[in-house]
Amino acid sequence: MTDLIGSVLVLLGAIFHFSAGLGMLRMPDAYTRMQAGTKASTLGNTLVLTGLAIHHPGWSFKLLIIVYFVLITNPISSHALARAAHAIRLPMAGDAGIDALRDVQQRAGNGT
Amino acid sequence: MIRRLSIVIAVVSFGLVFASLVIGYAERQSPRPLAESYIRLVPQELGAANVVTGILLTYRAFDTLGEVAVLFMVAAGVGLVLGGERPSRGVPSDVRPDGARPSSEIVQTGTQILVPLISIFAAYIIMNGHLTAGGGFQGGAVIASGVLLMLLAHPQYQPDLEFLGITESAAGALFVLAGIAGLIVADGFLDNRILPLGQFGAFFSAGAIPVLSVLLGIKVGCELSVVLERFRA
Repeated sequence: MTDLIGSVLVLLGAIFHFSAGLGMLRMPDAYTRMQAGTKASTLGNTLVLTGLAIHHPGWSFKLLIIVYFVLITNPISSHALARAAHAIRLPMAGDAGIDALRDVQQRAGNGT
Repeated sequence: MIRRLSIVIAVVSFGLVFASLVIGYAERQSPRPLAESYIRLVPQELGAANVVTGILLTYRAFDTLGEVAVLFMVAAGVGLVLGGERPSRGVPSDVRPDGARPSSEIVQTGTQILVPLISIFAAYIIMNGHLTAGGGFQGGAVIASGVLLMLLAHPQYQPDLEFLGITESAAGALFVLAGIAGLIVADGFLDNRILPLGQFGAFFSAGAIPVLSVLLGIKVGCELSVVLERFRA
């Protein structure tokens, strides 16, 4: 039974990883591609490692550390990538003229 | 037309070559005689649970020393080519004309959490090289990845190149000295039996392999850090 639950979790994680890869191919611009690649793979990694922890309870502590590492690094790296893309003014697909970061920077520029 | 034909011919002939490889492949049912003797000898003679590290740091340690020397030459060459127009020492970092934007607060805070984590992981990899997968080279590369994260998060951060150079040279000299001690005390150059073998599978075991692993990790980490620092614009 536990084997089955673990395998189902690993399979779910693999599906999320697949959707991350699909998003990298199909999304229209850098920002959406990046969020597809990092968000979906964060959940995918967590699910795969949880499934492994159910398979091998002795590994759970090490797997927990890996999950912690992924949960920190994935959002930080996507944040850094998005800011870098924004800083070189990479265009957004279907730009609606809304850019909160630019507005904040302009306000900070005017304030000082 | 001729171009397309030649491409088709090239693809088909590559396909034939690889097809013959795939068809001729047969999985080995038992290890080769050399591998078998290594698998038998490493735990018996050297007391190392990880056969690969045992081979790398004793039977083929001279080869490893050569690899480290190659890495050293890479670091020296990169320094020679890219280290030309560096600002002189003593100039404060905020005076330097550094065009890099400061990284955001999230990246800097994340770096504060991650760099200790990465360092601990590197130490774990290096210290457990004789028991599980790992060793000096891998751990040194992980150390350098921590330094790379520091360089990315703090564009003004300047590693102390002099300190790195001295540490690296000291580690290399100690590695060679351990090898010479093997010539005198034990059976040959870089023999790990200059220290007691200890209990098989324990943390302090396998003679000098953990010590050599640590020296190798320090040396590789310093060298790769120097290379990364040199590649910064």
